[in-house]
Amino acid sequence: MPDGSFAQQPQQRQFNPYTENGGTILAIAGADFTVIAGDTRQSEGYSIQTRYAPKVFRLTDRAVLAVNGFAADGNMFVKKVKQRLEWYRHAHAKDMPLRAIARLIQTMLYAQRFFPYYVYNILGGIEEDGSGAVYSFDPVGSYEREACRAAGAAQALVQPFLDNQIYFKNQMAAAGQSHPLHLPLSDVLAIVIDSFTSATERHIEVGDGLEMYVVLAKGRSSQGLDGLRGAQEISTTNDGDRVFVIRRELKKD
Amino acid sequence: MSIMQYNGGSVIAMVGKDCVAIASDLRLGVQSLSISANYQKIFPITDRIYVGLPGLGTDVTTLHEQFRYRVNMYTIKEEREIEPQTFAQLVSSTLYERRFGPYFIEPVVAGMQKLPTGGFAPFIAATDLIGCLNFAKDFVVAGTASEKLFGVAEGLWEPDLEAEDLFETISQTLLNAVDRDAFSGWGAVVHVITKDKVVTRTLKGRMD
Amino acid sequence: MFLTRSEYDRGVNTFSPEGRLFQVEYAIEAIKLGSTTVGICTQEGVVLAVEKRVQSPLLESSSIEKIMEIDSHLGCAMSGLIADARTMIDHARVTSQNHAFTYDERIKVESVTQAVCDLALRFGESVHDEDAMMSRPFGVALLIAGVDEKGPQLFHTDPSGTFVRYDAKAVGSGSEAAQSELQDKWHKQMTLKEAHILTLRVLKQVMEEKLDHHNVQLAQVTKEKGFEILDEVRLKELIDDM
Repeated sequence: MPDGSFAQQPQQRQFNPYTENGGTILAIAGADFTVIAGDTRQSEGYSIQTRYAPKVFRLTDRAVLAVNGFAADGNMFVKKVKQRLEWYRHAHAKDMPLRAIARLIQTMLYAQRFFPYYVYNILGGIEEDGSGAVYSFDPVGSYEREACRAAGAAQALVQPFLDNQIYFKNQMAAAGQSHPLHLPLSDVLAIVIDSFTSATERHIEVGDGLEMYVVLAKGRSSQGLDGLRGAQEISTTNDGDRVFVIRRELKKD
Repeated sequence: MSIMQYNGGSVIAMVGKDCVAIASDLRLGVQSLSISANYQKIFPITDRIYVGLPGLGTDVTTLHEQFRYRVNMYTIKEEREIEPQTFAQLVSSTLYERRFGPYFIEPVVAGMQKLPTGGFAPFIAATDLIGCLNFAKDFVVAGTASEKLFGVAEGLWEPDLEAEDLFETISQTLLNAVDRDAFSGWGAVVHVITKDKVVTRTLKGRMD
Repeated sequence: MFLTRSEYDRGVNTFSPEGRLFQVEYAIEAIKLGSTTVGICTQEGVVLAVEKRVQSPLLESSSIEKIMEIDSHLGCAMSGLIADARTMIDHARVTSQNHAFTYDERIKVESVTQAVCDLALRFGESVHDEDAMMSRPFGVALLIAGVDEKGPQLFHTDPSGTFVRYDAKAVGSGSEAAQSELQDKWHKQMTLKEAHILTLRVLKQVMEEKLDHHNVQLAQVTKEKGFEILDEVRLKELIDDM
């Protein structure tokens, strides 16, 4: 208004409860192990908020959860899942099996169907039968068990690469042979590292640090981890499934 | 939806050892409806230059004609074949002429550049829809699957690939990228250009 | 009246000076009036058996329902106030289905028993704004049988909300004689078939009427087939084999 008054004009304001905090997560299942990884950059728009904000969390000795999207929602969601796991432990005197955690996550996400947690979840670990497993979720709880999955800012960059390298899509097996259903741990770790260096190279929201969690089935040797620099065991027992974490630097530009 | 996604399609070019490769999908669609599985969007400019024109179908035709006209005029006036570097500049200026009403195309150029020593060097370039040039030393991508192409190419490409290995690399990159893109796919075509020949192969792909 | 028990047997939420809740104790007494119910746990599965008191020749004996399914891997036999048991079994069924819905797995036998016992103690005066709740203790004892990752199990619950796991257990009017017979005859290597026969023999001993396929009901829970109530044909065969 020329006189500086806005009194009669209706004004609309809006509060946006969500932010997108970048980053990428990834999980690959082997025959008797699973690798769950995520970068550690957290950004808002073109600003980096921190170079170390973990997106991957150990839930139990057999389950690791990676969370990507809106960081505040992600952290709160992980907190609530951990709380439910503790309650379950008290009620049923055992650790929750992986597929039960997967279903629990679905019900927790769908409970917020009309004000969702703005997060993509990938759950990795070892099933009751000792096989490696990856479960991926959408923000309202649709889920599926898969051999591998990427999510987050660089999903479009990483997923087709995994299709090619894990599922051998568009590759022909040598005559009389077939593609392996599962790759050895050393190959999987190499693919994970390559995926993240690639995503770091071409996506501004990916970089700074890489955290790779490795879950080994009960009784499996640490073959494939032995040669690796700085693999740190974080499991609570050594007679069940075991969890390791490996940290690497990524480019910071 | 953006007009850049209206017809769909993707192009990629890669540098190898004494060779370059350029490849594209063969889909033409109208939004989610697929119309053709044999829609060429890569065109030869000279024996050693190919240009890929992913974007709005009508502009593919128009720009191709425009480039043909301007390259012919260049050849007649200069009495020599156009070099890839020069052609890339021509592409750039042609697009920038329409700075405020652009062609909805992001061209990709691949060719073998003649050196003063008499040899040939691989050359690739890409521009945005108003002609901003990008001379990459490794690979360039464009089209609806560009993000996916970047991801796979970054993982598969390495320096100094021989022609056959470059063909395998660009083919795998393209096929796996377009398989995750709803607007690209339905087969692919790959051209591998060396100093004395061009090998063109048509690839089978997922038809969904 | 006051002389026999004092006034402390009135309120369900009042301890007597000796530290007893009389109403709960009376509820436990009520079970001893109920029909005899037997459960036997073996390595192959769990067997449940109940006596059906057919008070009148006009009564349709098949309408007496004292063994019920909680879930495909859980069964329950009861003794005492059957109507009360329905409330508890309803709760057990809901708990079991909720567990399957939320965790995509079968609930453990102990967990469902715990859930039922939580309910057993939920009596008293309901507070303003609260859902109507039970005003007195449940007058029923349950034998909850099931198979889970720990194998076949048998639990006993009473109106005090206490639950205990048993290899073999009898409740109801004939329980004392039945229990000592079970103690004599039960052994670790018992087969499911042996358990069937034993439950019938135990019931036969304590029943007033002559045991036949009309006045007993038999059920089993196995790893392979889960919970099933044995039909008349199988029941007759077993009675003939006794």
